[in-house]
Amino acid sequence: MPSDLALFLPETSALLMALVLFFLSLARETHHRRTYIWALGLSLLGVVAALAGLGAQGSLFFGAYRVDLFSQVFKLILAVAVFLVVSICGELTGVEERYHPEFFLFLTTCTLGMMLMVSAMELMTLYFSLELSSFSLYLLVPLRSGVRIDVEAGVKYLFIGITASCIMLFGMSYVFGVAHSTSLDKIMDVLPLLIHQPAAAIGLLLLLSGFFFKLAVFPFHFWAPDVYQGAANQVTTYIATASKAAAVALLIRLTALTSGTSLYLMNVLIGLCVASMCLGNLVAIVQKDLKRMLAYSSVAHAGYVLMGILTMTELGYSSSIFYTVAYMVMNFAAFMVVVKVASRGQDLKIADLAGLHRRAPLLALTLMMALFSLAGIPPTVGFTGKFLVFAAAMQHGHFWLVLVGMINATVSLYYYLMVIKAAYLLEPGVQAPPIEVSVPTRLLNYALIAGLVYLGVFPQQLLGLADSAVRHILGGV
Amino acid sequence: MIDPGFPYLSAILLAPVLGLLIILLLPHQNQRAVRWVSLASAGVCLVLSVFIYAAYDQPAGGLQFVERVPWVRSLGIFYYLGVDGINLPMVLLTSIVFFTGVWTMWDLTRRVKEFFALMLLMVAGVYGVFMSLDLIFLFVWYDVSLFPMYPLIAIWGSTRKEYGALKLTLYLLAGSALVLPGILYVYFKSGLHTFDLVMIAQAGLAPDVQYLGFFLFLFGFGVLAGLWPFHTWSPVGHVAAPTAVSMIHAGVLMKLGAYGVLRVGMSLCPQGLMDWSPLFALLATVGIVYGAFVGLAQTDLKYVIGYSSVSHMGLVSLGLATGSLGGVSGAVFQMFAHGVMTALFFSTVGHIYDRTHTKLVPELGGMAKLMPRASFFFILAALAGIGVPCLASFWAELLVFVNGVQRYPVLGVLAVLGLVISALFMLRVVQKTFYGEKNQRYAGAPDMSGVMVLPRAMLAGTILLFGLLPRLALDLINTGVLPLVGTFK
Repeated sequence: MPSDLALFLPETSALLMALVLFFLSLARETHHRRTYIWALGLSLLGVVAALAGLGAQGSLFFGAYRVDLFSQVFKLILAVAVFLVVSICGELTGVEERYHPEFFLFLTTCTLGMMLMVSAMELMTLYFSLELSSFSLYLLVPLRSGVRIDVEAGVKYLFIGITASCIMLFGMSYVFGVAHSTSLDKIMDVLPLLIHQPAAAIGLLLLLSGFFFKLAVFPFHFWAPDVYQGAANQVTTYIATASKAAAVALLIRLTALTSGTSLYLMNVLIGLCVASMCLGNLVAIVQKDLKRMLAYSSVAHAGYVLMGILTMTELGYSSSIFYTVAYMVMNFAAFMVVVKVASRGQDLKIADLAGLHRRAPLLALTLMMALFSLAGIPPTVGFTGKFLVFAAAMQHGHFWLVLVGMINATVSLYYYLMVIKAAYLLEPGVQAPPIEVSVPTRLLNYALIAGLVYLGVFPQQLLGLADSAVRHILGGV
Repeated sequence: MIDPGFPYLSAILLAPVLGLLIILLLPHQNQRAVRWVSLASAGVCLVLSVFIYAAYDQPAGGLQFVERVPWVRSLGIFYYLGVDGINLPMVLLTSIVFFTGVWTMWDLTRRVKEFFALMLLMVAGVYGVFMSLDLIFLFVWYDVSLFPMYPLIAIWGSTRKEYGALKLTLYLLAGSALVLPGILYVYFKSGLHTFDLVMIAQAGLAPDVQYLGFFLFLFGFGVLAGLWPFHTWSPVGHVAAPTAVSMIHAGVLMKLGAYGVLRVGMSLCPQGLMDWSPLFALLATVGIVYGAFVGLAQTDLKYVIGYSSVSHMGLVSLGLATGSLGGVSGAVFQMFAHGVMTALFFSTVGHIYDRTHTKLVPELGGMAKLMPRASFFFILAALAGIGVPCLASFWAELLVFVNGVQRYPVLGVLAVLGLVISALFMLRVVQKTFYGEKNQRYAGAPDMSGVMVLPRAMLAGTILLFGLLPRLALDLINTGVLPLVGTFK
């Protein structure tokens, strides 16, 4: 039916993209340029489709799949994320040329899985879509050419990922046992009454673990530094942006099942939040590799996002969504600089950034803005995001949590400043020629800087959208 | 003469922002244009500040030139600007220091565009803090004024610049890490769903909320005010910073801290002030005495001024801690007077350092003969620092001491002793640096040129003007402080 197709528009677009890329991958000879143009065009189409599908509402596949503003907002976020990631794959130097179509293909299937995931209303659908995205990533991570570390990163990611999946399945069995249903609608009806039973609370917590893994929340963060470092820079960018957004969506959807009635769950989340922030920030200080540092900082940022989620209030959830978008923009900006500076697809030490302000002033500026934003300095979006999650936590009475969060933000400033120092204060080495910045990259840089400031100063629209999205899952379901 | 519809305050706030945007669009090579744009935006700010200072209706008092626009309705954030007797002198101070600071840095040749861009950004933040009456905007501007310090010091500074820059940035942002929870705490506890400072202050807060709230604001903003024992960033930072940055930093930025304690802490939590004032006064006095003693042992001119700043900012804190009309007014006046005075200090030391490449007291000597103009300004600033009558600081320090001794007899007397010591070390430095044996090495070092005398003369003139006519400032300050003091019971 046409109306059903309208509901399925973003996913259809991703499917189409996957199909085209699949056929491209069958060709004996691959042309990077052609593959890239196809991927870029189709991912742009995906953004358009996601925009068109933003207002859609309805249910598909006998209630296993819900399309509402919440899911559509996240699909839009995912579509934009994948478009941005594809846009910096113009020189895909970190991946062997004959695998380029596969690279884009798995990127697409991964996104498709995540899109399905945010709409899933059935535990089985949820699991299936999660695995679709996970397995694509298991393949993407070792796709890097050259160095030996790739294999280790890929294997590590696979093992920890599968373990997290098992834990999650185990949790699902508990939830099913308690609620007698795999439908999230039905679970939501009964769970608030049953959450005080240990089986229900533990089941839900184990179920959440799968997404803690994606978000790199302590203690599921062990993969992050190795995978961030070991995967190709573009893949890392994708993992650090899109993958996080999907995890946040599901954490919101699943914690909302309890209607905020479980003090036990909240306390556990507070513990994870504090541990993630502190551990991430403290370990990030000693990192020498930029991607590893960003990996640990992502652990800390997972903590900030959790701070909004654990309140399980409307403001908390919407601030988490805002923070996710903010995190995506600023993290993407930082990784974009990594990709451009590491033009041969190599890893980037912080020391390698020395003299970036001479070699590429614009990239240095973008990097500085992104890092200040990650540190939560106004008037960037990172500050507004932190402010909102802190406000949500404070509204719920978590004064100490906010204080710990702020102290952590100050700690994080230290290691971000170290990077800025390298980029702005140190002189470039002898073998560090100026970096060519093409016109599209230039425009992307301007857009990112403008976005970082615009969303920071005028948060109203995005916050409003996040608010109405959250109302759909709190009131609507 | 006053157009009620014209947004004077926004114009002051936007002039540096606009200047910043223009500078960003200028090519790197065009250093002349960069300087002129900076000076022009500083000039606009200065003219407008003098104008609103003169046009402020003292008999009416209260907040004037108010602009209030909703920003984020769902959270109750307003773009809310206004001036009263407390922040108007601060705005004027900022403009004076900004204008003279740009002028002082006229000869800069290294990465000129970036320097002035960051400086304008910092000044915009300072104006924003002084004029905003919305807590969130105030906090945002506060951070905006702080983070350009890092590159400004680390790139253009001297003497352990990277260490100084990092220490300063981390200390100050750690301070703001207390302020933001404080703001959110007050916001939710007031239950008014607004970040409007005036509205929350009028509604009043519960005593226990004020207790914790004031603690957070006191130590959060206190770091920037150089409150002992969180002052250690300040001398190191001053020493490392380039001249104009030292001027703005010691002259204006440290006042943001004291202003924050006054505007946010004391007006929102008057009861909290009463609870914490003994500790506040104690820390202030320790700062005064400690700063003076440590200053005694310094040989670097900038360290000398840095520690005297700790001592003088201690006076501001002591004045605030008295919670009396005279004490608080004295503190506000001291902020103004000290700002102008320190700016003159750093501006002059900057000149001496540029010419001789040293700021160590033992290496200099007999400068009065070599650089009579520079020496005149330094000595004038030193006399103002000591509190010689007819100079602005005299009245401010007098007010603080009289009220300080009245409220805290023991601490007050100690503070007076601290000032005596600081007079001692100041005079010693003056004697060793400017009189005594001439160091022949610097015989050829040129004195200030006529054009470069002007900014220093402006600062010196301000010190004299407000020293001879203290009521020019005090009457205005009293209109702002009087309603506030009424709430301290």
